[in-house]
Amino acid sequence: METRKKILSIDDEENIRLLLSCELEDEGYEVISLGDPQQAMEVIEKEHPDIVLLDIKMPQLSGMELLKMIRDKYYDLPVILLSAYSFYKRDVAAMASDYYVVKSADLTELKKLIKKIFKTRL
Amino acid sequence: MTAPSALNNETRKSVAAIARADILVGIPSYNNEKTIGHVTEAIKLGLAKYYPDARAVIFNSDGGSEDQTRAVFERIAKTDSYDTFFISKPRHPLENISGRYIGIPGKGSAFKAIFEAAQLLGVKACAVLDSDLRSITPEWIQLLLAPVLAKDYGYVCPFYRRYKYDGTITNSIAYPFTRALYGRRVRQPIGGDFGFSGKLLDLYLAQDVWDTDVTRFGIDIWMTTTAIVNGFKICQSFMGAKIHDDKDPGADLGPMFIQVVGTIFNLMGTYESHWRKVSGSRPTAILGFQSETEPKPLKVDVSRMTAKFTEGMSTHLDSYRRILSAEVLAKLLEVAEMAGENMDFPKALWTNVVFDYAVFYQQAPDRQQVLQSLIPLYYGFISSFVHETENLDDYQAEEVIEELCQVYEDSKPYLLKRWGQKKS
Repeated sequence: METRKKILSIDDEENIRLLLSCELEDEGYEVISLGDPQQAMEVIEKEHPDIVLLDIKMPQLSGMELLKMIRDKYYDLPVILLSAYSFYKRDVAAMASDYYVVKSADLTELKKLIKKIFKTRL
Repeated sequence: MTAPSALNNETRKSVAAIARADILVGIPSYNNEKTIGHVTEAIKLGLAKYYPDARAVIFNSDGGSEDQTRAVFERIAKTDSYDTFFISKPRHPLENISGRYIGIPGKGSAFKAIFEAAQLLGVKACAVLDSDLRSITPEWIQLLLAPVLAKDYGYVCPFYRRYKYDGTITNSIAYPFTRALYGRRVRQPIGGDFGFSGKLLDLYLAQDVWDTDVTRFGIDIWMTTTAIVNGFKICQSFMGAKIHDDKDPGADLGPMFIQVVGTIFNLMGTYESHWRKVSGSRPTAILGFQSETEPKPLKVDVSRMTAKFTEGMSTHLDSYRRILSAEVLAKLLEVAEMAGENMDFPKALWTNVVFDYAVFYQQAPDRQQVLQSLIPLYYGFISSFVHETENLDDYQAEEVIEELCQVYEDSKPYLLKRWGQKKS
């Protein structure tokens, strides 16, 4: 039996976490939701997710900072940055993510990218 | 077969006198008297500021400059200017070597001499920096060396902010094609300024490429591709803006284009088993403090590029019939018919043109002519890119380049199909 792909979703907003986990679980993924980005490295170490969905603007620790930490330790772990603002796409640091998605209630683009990552994973 | 050494006797003696070093920074040069002083000063200060306890060497590998390049280098390298810049003197005096390399004249031969000197000195890390840089600061030394010395990276590529029309060979072929082939997003694969480990330079010197275009402008893409394919840990360092001697894409970039693209195509043959398995691409970490920087605008002569495209379409039509698939040729002829002020060369068409060339090149007896005939099409595509991005800022233009990269990646099945047809 094929094991379900594991997605770690990091967002300080509970509603967003709920939306992501409901929709992505319906797609057949296992979703771990995390509200506190400061615990992210520990959770990644323990859970070995296949993809990380990362909110950029979080009060405890910015997604960009966390992305740097992830990249430094886990070069191969795909990360999708999520933000309500397309502005952050211009940040050089955002280029260290696999993809950048502007947040929306319609998760079609995000689902497509997740499928693409799993299909083309090196 | 071992390639002949690129170090002349005098340089070899200078290296032997130094015996051992921790770091070597190399500057290739040829008639760069106006800019090499600034580059040397920045390197000297950067080494003293960030590596005060290291045994450091700075090596100007010159191609036989007829101006004062070497004299300027030697004067600046020896001058004790640390105090002026509020930097303490390093524990070990900075060693400097200036010598003319031996071999085919070109940047790659200059690099080979630098690699050999670094290997003889047993350095832990080495960096190379272009001699026409105007925006270099002492911090660049740390940005290129620290990932190797402190974080165990094997290869450090620069990440610059560049004006949207600076680096057109990078933006139209070197970056998107390398990314699609080998699956790594290295934004400036031919950036010119790199840091690397002693282990990687051993691998570079062991390769049998020192009679090819790698000895010239092919060196940068060869270094990057070799590091990627051989699994070295790679990162990019944010260096700010790159300001160097202007190179209008419409001016004669022919030799550089041929040497870079020829090297990419050659590497495809060498690393076929690697790139055929790759689909999609992965990002590469970007280190360093990010600041807002404004790259220097560059004037481009679009009408000259469009004219070169139109002229090339008639001069090289027979070549295009030989090299391109019927479908690609038909679309290209349509583009040529409509060519004018508002040039529109679709990204998917450009990508397939490059792929058809890459395939044809592998078995072409007249490789130089083949590459020569690609240049007008490159000018056509760049004219179209300039037209598409003329009202966009650098960030928005970067998104257009990202779209092009996606097209390259999505079109890879076409390349694989054509590559397979070549073999059968």
